[in-house]
Amino acid sequence: MNISVPVQPARWPGSAFVRRLASSPTVRVSARRLLSAIPVLWGVTLLAFLLLNALPGDAASALLGIDATPAEIRSFSIKLHLNEPLWTRYGHWLAGVVTGNLGTSLASPQSVVSIIASRLPVTLELVIYALVLTFVVSVPLAVVCARWPRGIIDRICLVLSMASLSTAPYVLGLLLVIVFAVHWSIFPAIGYTALSTSLTGNLDTMTLPSIVLAIPLIGFYTRFLRADLLEQMQSEDYVVTARAKGVSEWRILTRHVLRNSFIGLLTVIGLNLATLIGATVIVEQIFSLPGIGYELLNAISNRDVPVVEGIVLVFGITVVLVNLLTDLLYGVLDPRIRHVRSRS
Amino acid sequence: MPRLRERGRAAPAPGGSEPSAVGMTPGAVLEVEDLRVTFRTRLGTVYAVQGISFAVEPGRTLAVIGESGSGKTVSARAIMGLLPRSADVSGSIRFKGEQVVGRSNNEMRDYRGRNVAMVFQNPERSLNPTMRVGYQIAEAITTHEPMDRRQARERTIELLKMVRIPAPEQRFHEYPHQLSGGMRQRVVIAIALACGPEVLIADEATTALDVTTQAQIMDLLLDLQRETGTALLMISHDMSLAAAYSEDVVVMYAGKIVERASARDLFAGVRMPYTQALLDAIPRIDTEPHVLLPVVGGRPPDQSVLRDGCPFAPRCPDVQQDCRDHAPPLRQHEPDRWWACWHPIQGGAAR
Repeated sequence: MNISVPVQPARWPGSAFVRRLASSPTVRVSARRLLSAIPVLWGVTLLAFLLLNALPGDAASALLGIDATPAEIRSFSIKLHLNEPLWTRYGHWLAGVVTGNLGTSLASPQSVVSIIASRLPVTLELVIYALVLTFVVSVPLAVVCARWPRGIIDRICLVLSMASLSTAPYVLGLLLVIVFAVHWSIFPAIGYTALSTSLTGNLDTMTLPSIVLAIPLIGFYTRFLRADLLEQMQSEDYVVTARAKGVSEWRILTRHVLRNSFIGLLTVIGLNLATLIGATVIVEQIFSLPGIGYELLNAISNRDVPVVEGIVLVFGITVVLVNLLTDLLYGVLDPRIRHVRSRS
Repeated sequence: MPRLRERGRAAPAPGGSEPSAVGMTPGAVLEVEDLRVTFRTRLGTVYAVQGISFAVEPGRTLAVIGESGSGKTVSARAIMGLLPRSADVSGSIRFKGEQVVGRSNNEMRDYRGRNVAMVFQNPERSLNPTMRVGYQIAEAITTHEPMDRRQARERTIELLKMVRIPAPEQRFHEYPHQLSGGMRQRVVIAIALACGPEVLIADEATTALDVTTQAQIMDLLLDLQRETGTALLMISHDMSLAAAYSEDVVVMYAGKIVERASARDLFAGVRMPYTQALLDAIPRIDTEPHVLLPVVGGRPPDQSVLRDGCPFAPRCPDVQQDCRDHAPPLRQHEPDRWWACWHPIQGGAAR
């Protein structure tokens, strides 16, 4: 692109559409945010590279196994360029990334991009499914709890959320497998069916893992949303105005307060999503789902640096994108932010 | 609006400690008698309102004056049925002769907004920030009168015109933050008047506004009152506001009414030292500059303790021993004039 410093967006070259896009505050904010993410991503990959290097063992010995002779390992190391200095290796990798080439896996002839492309959809589906489950369960629960605080439902919810928050995902995963896969055989214990193969088959294999991911989130969001709803019901003046109109408590909760509480909830979800992506690594391992987290663990044990670096980059980009999306969604939920933005 | 002036029944006061000071008020739309509100908290019981009585007539304005914590807002919320569950309300609040205290939640919901409506202190916070103002007004209408969206929209635009908001069709779609404080308060007034209530309570409705806007909003409220015949209960700490806009004044102190009179009589000659202290605290145009304004010394009493003496005794400049021993009851001393004081000011300073 032959753009110098854009002083006046209106004078930008290109079609009317491009010019309009460039003058849209949302697009400009997004572009600025994405550009400022580059140093962050660079730092993350550097850190991952150094950590991986600090681990005992290397790709050559990991891939050849314990029976390999030192001579074999040595020649394999040279083939994989492992004998080169640390910075040279990182420089090679970085140069590749800048030119859009994430390299090739050390363990297999596949390119890193094709590995990620085949694994990413599984993880994305898992995360989205888990989030949908979380919302469908925790929003109505929180509303009911806030409508009758310290009531029977509220008390049960409190106990259950504490339980769900204090159970580790691997314990929960195995527990659910024992109950729903072994004892009742409702869902398969492990394995994966692609969405393109069969929808029901896919849901069968994805439901248990999604529940494992969703349960701690449900516990947390129900508590958070309940507290926020109650706080607003008790302290916000607009709630008193609504009551003075004669609006019912139920309607105040669902029509007035819930909207405002979603703004706070959004912040929490944005912060939680990084943790959720981390949890997929464990859950994919338990249920043998061929997702990106599963691949990451494999790559780490193989010391497969290019794959690890590629996945770390993808995780980093995801977190940046999620934060950006969160900020954009604030504008959708909160008219005050929307108007400040369109004025700037 | 040709309702009102129906019947004004006044039952004899229930056996309260204070005799019914107001008594029969023919034609009153809202009668409050021996209203008591206590809050049970973990730290003890707070006697926020200790037996007050007053009545509001259609088309008239009653100002309830007092400093923070005097129980004026609690009384207003009791009339609206908007007190938290920790509040214990006793005594009688009659709307058009019918008892309001003790009604079920559903009955109260039907009464709020339709019969009695309220304008609040802080227009910055009393509207939902995530909802268009048109919708917030329309909701007030449709809560009580089922109608389709188009009808509600038309009524809303009429209301916006009525409270003199320019370009109502455009304002309908705006959010509260896009309006100025005065405009927001007009929206709150439109919400309050949506169902043509017989009683409108303005709880410090102009306190948060600047002086110019304050006058505009008060003029608007009085004009609308004249058009609709609504009874207006104006709650304020501002004596000058009461003097300028109300017909009757009730002065509250520590949960009790200490003086009650028509605005003209009251400001012609105050009897109760507390009222005088409030009046003295108003800055005047002829006060010498850079001179400290007189303040009411001391603090309002702790209302978790019931005392024998006059609640104002510790702060009163004219206090005598009998004030400390026995609380003076609110009694009618002159036609249309009540006060609760053993040693009233004779020919109190007029302003």
